[in-house]
Amino acid sequence: MKAKTIRLTASYLVLIIFCVIAVYPILQVVTISLRPADRLLSTSLEIIPENASLSAYVQLFTERPFLRWMINSLLVSLVVTVTGVSLASTAGYAFSRFSFAGKKAGLLSLLTTQMFPATMLMLPLYILLIKLGLINTYIGVIIIYSATALPFTIWTMKGYYDTIPYSLEEAARIDGCNQFHAFYRIILPLAAPALVITALFSFMTAWAEYVVAAQILQDSDLWTLPLGLKSFESNMTTEWGLYGAASLMVAVPVIALFLALSRYLVSGLTLGSVKG
Amino acid sequence: MRNRTFRQILVLAFFLVPACSRHEDPNRVVIWHQMRVDERVILERQLSEYMSMHPGIRVEQLYKETEELRSGFIIASIAGQGPDLVYGPSDMIGPFKVMEIIRPLDTLFSREYLDLFIPEALTYHEGGLYQIADKLGNHLTLVYNKELVSTPPATDLELLELGEQLTVDINGDGKTDRYALAWNYTEPFFFIPFLTGFGGWVMDEDGAPTLDSGAMVEALRFIQDLRDRYRIVPGEADYNIADILFKDGKSAMIINGDWSWAGYQKAGIDIGVAPLPLMTATGLYCEPMVSPKGFSVNINVPEAKLELVLDVLRFLMEPERQLETARALKTMPTRVEAVSSSFVQNDEILRNSAIQISRGRPMPVVAELRAIWDAMRPGYQAVLGGSLTPQEAADAMQALALTKIREMNE
Amino acid sequence: MNATTSARTYHRLFIFFLIGPAFLILFAVVLYPFLYNIVVSFSNMSLRHIRDWSIVGPLQYVKVFTEESQPDFYVIFFKTIVWTVVNVLFHVVIGVFLALILNQKEIRGRWLFRTLLILPWAVPQYIVALTWRGMFNFEYGSINLLITQYLGLSAVEWLKSPTEAFIACIITNVWLGFPFMMIIALGALQSIPHELYEAAEIDGASWWHKLRHITLPMIRPVMIPAITLGTVWTFNNLNIVWLVSNAGEPSDNTHILVSFVYKAAFNLYRFGYAAALSMVIFVILLVFSLLFMRRTRATEAAA
Repeated sequence: MKAKTIRLTASYLVLIIFCVIAVYPILQVVTISLRPADRLLSTSLEIIPENASLSAYVQLFTERPFLRWMINSLLVSLVVTVTGVSLASTAGYAFSRFSFAGKKAGLLSLLTTQMFPATMLMLPLYILLIKLGLINTYIGVIIIYSATALPFTIWTMKGYYDTIPYSLEEAARIDGCNQFHAFYRIILPLAAPALVITALFSFMTAWAEYVVAAQILQDSDLWTLPLGLKSFESNMTTEWGLYGAASLMVAVPVIALFLALSRYLVSGLTLGSVKG
Repeated sequence: MRNRTFRQILVLAFFLVPACSRHEDPNRVVIWHQMRVDERVILERQLSEYMSMHPGIRVEQLYKETEELRSGFIIASIAGQGPDLVYGPSDMIGPFKVMEIIRPLDTLFSREYLDLFIPEALTYHEGGLYQIADKLGNHLTLVYNKELVSTPPATDLELLELGEQLTVDINGDGKTDRYALAWNYTEPFFFIPFLTGFGGWVMDEDGAPTLDSGAMVEALRFIQDLRDRYRIVPGEADYNIADILFKDGKSAMIINGDWSWAGYQKAGIDIGVAPLPLMTATGLYCEPMVSPKGFSVNINVPEAKLELVLDVLRFLMEPERQLETARALKTMPTRVEAVSSSFVQNDEILRNSAIQISRGRPMPVVAELRAIWDAMRPGYQAVLGGSLTPQEAADAMQALALTKIREMNE
Repeated sequence: MNATTSARTYHRLFIFFLIGPAFLILFAVVLYPFLYNIVVSFSNMSLRHIRDWSIVGPLQYVKVFTEESQPDFYVIFFKTIVWTVVNVLFHVVIGVFLALILNQKEIRGRWLFRTLLILPWAVPQYIVALTWRGMFNFEYGSINLLITQYLGLSAVEWLKSPTEAFIACIITNVWLGFPFMMIIALGALQSIPHELYEAAEIDGASWWHKLRHITLPMIRPVMIPAITLGTVWTFNNLNIVWLVSNAGEPSDNTHILVSFVYKAAFNLYRFGYAAALSMVIFVILLVFSLLFMRRTRATEAAA
């Protein structure tokens, strides 16, 4: 019992230390958003700055098309998330369960797509999208984001499926399920934690991406959040108050999504109870 | 359920395509620029004025950060697309001209029209006119806090004398609480006035770098002394640090550009703008780089649309539009009529700004300038970091500049 | 005979149905740009030859390895490896460690800890990276204040000396990257059946024993891909170094290999050279992944 108390106390201590480390720089961003006259830094260390004001937040929602950017970003990110989850969960399953010609090559080629420095892909990608008529469309960015997210998500799904015993599907097949049903009804729900990782990652890929969006979305009505935020910056005179406020607002949907999904990420009800 | 998801994506896709793909439209003019927010607001208002005068025409403006404007425009125009007009400082012209992605303007405007501008507004490069500017400047000046400084220093000796009074340790803890002067130590652009004050420059007439000059060594030594011997400038400062020191009243003066004035006024500081001082040893003024900012025309603009694009350009160049910006942001206009207006002639900040511009050197437009900046940065930072002497740094800069220019022109 | 053939065809179709769409999208996006770059890497495409470029053979590759550059190519290569290894190591160790702690059912308020711990991942990187740069400031930064006032050490010139500046970049990137590894590790931990631990406890296994023989092997299938890709991403992650060190300060001493690509392409317009260098980076990462994958046997299916 005593050992347990020590373990728990140590655990709390570690968690608190890491939370402080994680939160402190974010508090600085809060300070920036409250500070008047666009100061990125300050010579004082107060969290609530002198003459603090919420005007940046008001300005963000009333004078800038922030909500529009947010809606655009949500649209793009949710489509990428749905695409990512459906394509990765299926492809990952095939890679985990079946042997077929080109399987190893296929898995490795997934990785290779991530190895090329992205800056160099912009020119040819841009030419390609012009030919396909996808410049200035969400389809263009959605396809690229999905492709960016897939290698990691497929691998993660495959890795997680690997931990689920074959015996479960075999049992289902004996009970008369077909292959797809065995996957869809039995295995997929068990892989919920991996699906959550896949969803979060796909969402974030689209949510935070700037370079591709800047080259493709050349109409400010189509701007996603990272493009909008960038417009607060300009050579040497950035509107730091707005930038800070917007950065915190950008994090809100991410955290909401995480809270909504983390139930499945940590429930521990999935495999532990069925397996064995 | 899966099929339904796919169907939903498909439906969404069809919904999106017509909404956002726009084909080459002869009645739509697109401008890419790197204007800061307060400039952007004025541009936006002027463009809507144009559109209300010309129903059926759409003029759109899109902000891109300077570096990205450059790389984005290169990528788009090489691929045969891009905006109709691109707006930025004149040093974009060098590479754009070499890559043949902007078109010469001499033949498009009459001599009489071009004569309406001050000569600095027209950027010629390798025999052609490639940019027409609506603002002149982007130049550094000495900005001072009027509460702390009554008369700004006119010479380096006055600067040192004033510096000693202004640099103070208020609470006596051995740490300086206020410096006399601050500026961005990391970008060589902010170092140029010191270089010119000692009679140096970045390149000769043929575009070959001249970074190992005696003037370079002396200029580097001078700023080293300001910091380490006279201790009137902070030990470490990049743009943001220098900026907040001045905003927080912890630096009495700052070397900063015309873009920063409006922000300091907004922060509630009573600022004065003064020309940079004279170096007594050489009898030369510290001259910042001055560059026009203006429009160039994309090579891909179809002939049929050209007249409309030029019309938009002429509209934005009208003296009253330039003056609107000048009044709001204290920028220097480029139409003779606007420059000689009583507002520009009488406004205190603009008057001092004009003096500084007259004591400035035009920023070279050749592509090689990029290589020179890249070559100066490490040496300049090394002197301030204490790892190289001024002489070693000057030699290293020159060698690096030669290499980079060779690589660039291979 | 027909029955088995059709079963096999069905099986193949099923596999194709599972992986086809994903690969279709991937190849649509990646294949053309990749081939384009291979061609450009053998060409002289540059400022003076942007439209009239021609194939010049492996010249650009020779330059990558032999051209005198400042900072030196091989020094930067070494730094990139240090950068990658240290970052990924800390990401994984901190991430897994926190996930293990958070996975204890007895801890109260786990949702709150989890939420606070993912904040570095959720807030846009640009502004926090610059905030970190401010925190590393010699005179006004909070890190030096902490070091001098609470730890009694002397202040560090974080951004002025090459090594310290590099460490500052690494600290920032570790901070940015550990939450994501923590999320993955949390997910991976859910795949471990409780029975395994219960059985081990009956056998009187120590905490360390359980970690070593149950937890780590069981989370491996999910962690290996994350580590591999984390390595690849970190190797090419220009942003953080660029922002924290303000594009290579002091004196171009804080670059990683991919900054060369960026500088060559967009400062000096040497597109051919930049493409060749990109190919070199690609091959380095490919070789690493092949070796790592072979050692960990990650491409094989479940046992």
